[in-house]
Amino acid sequence: MAASDTAAGWRLSGEPKLTIAAENVRLRYTVQRTSGGRWWRRGQATAVTGPVLRGVTLAAREGEMVGLVGLNGSGKSSLLRVLAGLQPATSGTVVASAQPQLLGVSAALVPELSGAENIWLGTLAMGMTPDDAYFAKERVEQLAGLGASINQPMKTYSSGMAARLRFAISVAADPEILMIDEALATGDASFHERSKEAMHGLIARAGTVFLVSHAAQTIEEMCTRALWLDAGTLIADGPAGEVANMYRYYAHSIAIGKNEAAKRALVSATEAHPPRLSTN
Amino acid sequence: MASPSQRPEPRGLRKKWRRAWSTRDAGADLLSASLRSELQEQYGDLSHLRRVGSRPPLREYFTELFDRRHFIWAGARGEAVTRYANERLGVAWYVLRPVLDAAFYWVIFGVVLQMGLGMDNFVAFIIIGVFMFQPTSRAITSGSSLIRNSKSMIRAFAFPRASLAVSLVLRDLLSSIPAMGVMFIAIVAIPPHEMPSAAWSFFPIILLLQLMLNLGFALLFGWLGSVMPDLSQAMSFASRLLMYASAVIFPIERFIDHPVALGIVQANPLYVVLEMYRTVLIDGAAPAAGDWLELILWAAGLLLVGFTLFWRDEERYGRE
Repeated sequence: MAASDTAAGWRLSGEPKLTIAAENVRLRYTVQRTSGGRWWRRGQATAVTGPVLRGVTLAAREGEMVGLVGLNGSGKSSLLRVLAGLQPATSGTVVASAQPQLLGVSAALVPELSGAENIWLGTLAMGMTPDDAYFAKERVEQLAGLGASINQPMKTYSSGMAARLRFAISVAADPEILMIDEALATGDASFHERSKEAMHGLIARAGTVFLVSHAAQTIEEMCTRALWLDAGTLIADGPAGEVANMYRYYAHSIAIGKNEAAKRALVSATEAHPPRLSTN
Repeated sequence: MASPSQRPEPRGLRKKWRRAWSTRDAGADLLSASLRSELQEQYGDLSHLRRVGSRPPLREYFTELFDRRHFIWAGARGEAVTRYANERLGVAWYVLRPVLDAAFYWVIFGVVLQMGLGMDNFVAFIIIGVFMFQPTSRAITSGSSLIRNSKSMIRAFAFPRASLAVSLVLRDLLSSIPAMGVMFIAIVAIPPHEMPSAAWSFFPIILLLQLMLNLGFALLFGWLGSVMPDLSQAMSFASRLLMYASAVIFPIERFIDHPVALGIVQANPLYVVLEMYRTVLIDGAAPAAGDWLELILWAAGLLLVGFTLFWRDEERYGRE
């Protein structure tokens, strides 16, 4: 079922429309780093700002489910926030065919209100009429699958439950561009399946989904395409399976301390799947 | 291969969003020429692209704001109901709080300090002051933390942020309706009894103008609070200052000899509002034309300034 939906998503390539494009996005951040980055080694020990994104250029079209892989701190979440317009880039442009919906790992919507009331408020906030919201409510509750907790205040929810609810609300609006930042990592197996189906439904209806995860397996299972970010630079851009595999090898090399092998993996990944758009 | 006609038509909300999105300034021109041609080659038409997070033009903003009226209402109602949800007496506090407030101020300023000497009806003076001051003071204090408190909603959904301010003012109206009921009962029941007169019909009109004033304050302080988050720390002080400067609990003009200081106090919109309420409810007379004009100017001016400042920074509120 899910697989055929993915295929349907790909078939849209009859005339795929561009949904989002970013050009030369740079971002500097005020950070307190404990371990050294490249700018640190250059001897700027007193500097507290550092580059997070070093000129990322990318484009995605409808029917694509794009995974973002990379180590912690490689700029995945920052890139999503910039793409969604929640964080102004230091320089660079992001244009899109719709306002992206970003699902981050953040707190409850209105903590004092119950899950059901948050669904009501959220669907209305997105612009639904009360009639639509009434019909959407059941679908949202089903997708979130929170059972009786739906009537409890959202402040009592665990982070996983809150993420499920917010995901379900966002999907109900059928957004053209949905961005998910690790938010679904906390879900259990049954929710995993339902969310996968929901996302494939979105891309089958000419949407684009961005998914951040540092678990390569998630990207491999869910996405059609993967972007690999390393230290704020786009390293590779290609079919999800291959890029995720290369990333897995890289992350493993780092983990066991084979830095040389890791470096070679980076280079070969760029050679095999270079970023599609030229950065100037 | 699938032809373009087989692409599913956008439904419901997506269609709405597409229309709303199309009112923003075209974004493809923001890309460099080389990238534009590269993208055009790969993906075709780029005319549907807009810059992300961009603010809608003014007209569209109002359209979207009107579109969110159900959201505004649901937000106002939901928060009004849950305000005292943790209290054991629950919604009873909507009545109890103002009653206790009024009793407290009456004891301190009326009985102990004897400030009401020489006034016809000091109890009604205090009750009207305290009860009608609260919605505006709340609009200012909660306005200053509006953006911060709504951050997760703002980041999760795209909607005109001004709807939060409207929601806030409506919520305060809803939660002060019980208090207004108490107020009317109290000024009729407590001697010297004020009996309803024809002048009382001015009350809803003044209330409407006060709501406009509150919305202006909520927008202005919502913007100020987003520029200076520290502002919310100073708010309790500011609202107390406003309370004494608006003759909420005692006629301040008796204690000010300096004409300039008195002029400033009397130009204060809240002073004018309370003065008008008292003229209508206690004296049973129509407020002076000058008061009307002053209040209308204040309400319209604040709304205009507040909205302009708030709208100008619309794109910034979702950021951290």
